[in-house]
Amino acid sequence: MRKISMLALVCLLAVSLGVSCKAKTKPTPPPSPQAQEQPVVEQVKEAVPAESAPLSEEELFLKKTLDEINKERVLKMVRFDYDKYYIRDEAKLTLEDNAAWLKKFTTAKILIEGHCDERGTEEYNLALGEKRAKSTMEYLLSLGIPAERMRIISYGKSQPLDMAHDETAWANNRRAQFLVIEK
Amino acid sequence: MKKHAFVRIAGLLLAAGCASAQQDFNMRITEGMPAVSFALPPFVSSAAAKTEAAEIYSVLEADIKYTRIFELLPKSYYGYIRPLLDPNNPDFKEWESIQTNVLFAARIEDDPAGGFVFAWVLYDVKSKRPIIAPRRYQYKDKNLRYLAHATADEIMKAYGEKPIFTSKIAFVSNRDKNEELYLMDYDGANQIRLLYNQVNDSNPAWDPEGKRLAYSSWQNLAVGVYILDVFEKARTRVPVSLKGQNYTPAWSPDGKKLAFASSMSGNHEIYVADIEANPTRVGRIKQLTFNPGIDIAPSWSPNGREIVFTSDRGGTTQIYIMDAEGGNTRRISFGANHHDAPAWSPNGDKIVYVARVDNVFDLYLYNIRSGQISKLTEIYARNESPAWSPDGRHILFTSNVSGSSQIHTIDVDGRNLRKLTSQGENKLADWSN
Repeated sequence: MRKISMLALVCLLAVSLGVSCKAKTKPTPPPSPQAQEQPVVEQVKEAVPAESAPLSEEELFLKKTLDEINKERVLKMVRFDYDKYYIRDEAKLTLEDNAAWLKKFTTAKILIEGHCDERGTEEYNLALGEKRAKSTMEYLLSLGIPAERMRIISYGKSQPLDMAHDETAWANNRRAQFLVIEK
Repeated sequence: MKKHAFVRIAGLLLAAGCASAQQDFNMRITEGMPAVSFALPPFVSSAAAKTEAAEIYSVLEADIKYTRIFELLPKSYYGYIRPLLDPNNPDFKEWESIQTNVLFAARIEDDPAGGFVFAWVLYDVKSKRPIIAPRRYQYKDKNLRYLAHATADEIMKAYGEKPIFTSKIAFVSNRDKNEELYLMDYDGANQIRLLYNQVNDSNPAWDPEGKRLAYSSWQNLAVGVYILDVFEKARTRVPVSLKGQNYTPAWSPDGKKLAFASSMSGNHEIYVADIEANPTRVGRIKQLTFNPGIDIAPSWSPNGREIVFTSDRGGTTQIYIMDAEGGNTRRISFGANHHDAPAWSPNGDKIVYVARVDNVFDLYLYNIRSGQISKLTEIYARNESPAWSPDGRHILFTSNVSGSSQIHTIDVDGRNLRKLTSQGENKLADWSN
């Protein structure tokens, strides 16, 4: 962009020069149509606010769609032990990070989804997944995130992340993950 | 006909006399119950109705075979006698000579009013009398499969059995992305999508009349239990419980109550809602369980007096029975294994449930009277979410034996395994009455 505007400036200059001293520069080539379509004034106008006042993190956040925010996965998921729903120590650190993000973007509301591995039964896993979502919510509550910013839901074992049937896959699938549903 | 019925009852009594164990139980069905020899000769038909005749024949043949009450006469036997030309006048001596007990004689002819007429009679060969008097089905654009199933149902009724062939199976499939409710015939034909939501719908449960489905829906970022009028044009959807998360609905046998699991009080408990019909309306909701564990997956006894359900109140996930009003709770499954998804048989004598042993899920049958437990499935796979056929002879369940989760049926003696679905992943099937 900058190059183009410089070019336009040079051309304009050349044109004005050409006007003032016709005799000297007779074979001046006509300005390219591209250059003519680029009004110099507008270019400057656009550039100024971006340089002088960059968007705040909050403004950037508000500019994004929910889809974009969720794609960035700023809220990290937490994992659980087999058939358990208590918050593990390393998950507490993750949830502290998540709480910090939620405290920064105070308008954000989230859905906490509880998931299970395939070793539980279909029906029981619905309840277990909900318990995982709930204990995650309760931990965030204890970190000062208000209840009205959080909702929970369970998907049981119907949405595995890892389709394999081994310990690694199971450990991966026993999780609570986050969806930003309002901002 | 009376004689056959007597033989069958005798077979049952014999089995009841057998004191113990799985082996005796298997013996009863396979050896103690003599199958009735059933002749199904080709239908007499006009040239114009050949295709229709062939389709009805093949569906009816599959239905009769599925019962295992009847044994189809080998087709080669028909070659030993003169072909049946007049369904109203069979030569009984000839049919008896090839060991036929029951003869299904049918004709398909053009209907002067348009369409066809499917006329049939079911005979008892020995007494030379019809078991079912001549029937005439006129049809134009009707589903031929349905016609065959309706015929099979009449035959079942004549033998004092609960008909199952025109029943419907509701199930959950992800074939169109999100988990959604689908319907199919008992044999897996005519699979159709029932709802078109962007969110998941699951846990379908038929009301006793086979008209309404209770189910869980992930509508509005919460799991609610709803009732849907399946065959109504307007298909009204009535919310039953939207507070907390709500799962696994189950109708009482009289259709006046709906049991379900809910976390409305913070923890998963079993609740029962009063349901009025015409139009569907939800009355009082009563909480039946009170403990800090998970209580889920209720199923009613056929007399409506008790409810069997899953609970982890004792530390491991086990099957319990309680009174339908709550209380008097006792445990029926044991061991450290994970148990779930109990379903009470329509005859009231058994409860089928899933148990995980060494990471393999299999279905088990709990015999109410003897307290004995026998293993139903011996498939090295994940076999889950059982439901009974209306006649209590077959069990519908989910298995991933083929590599993906699919709906299957198996007979109560562990034989006659049949796969009904193959598109996408399918689960949580329920069989209508």
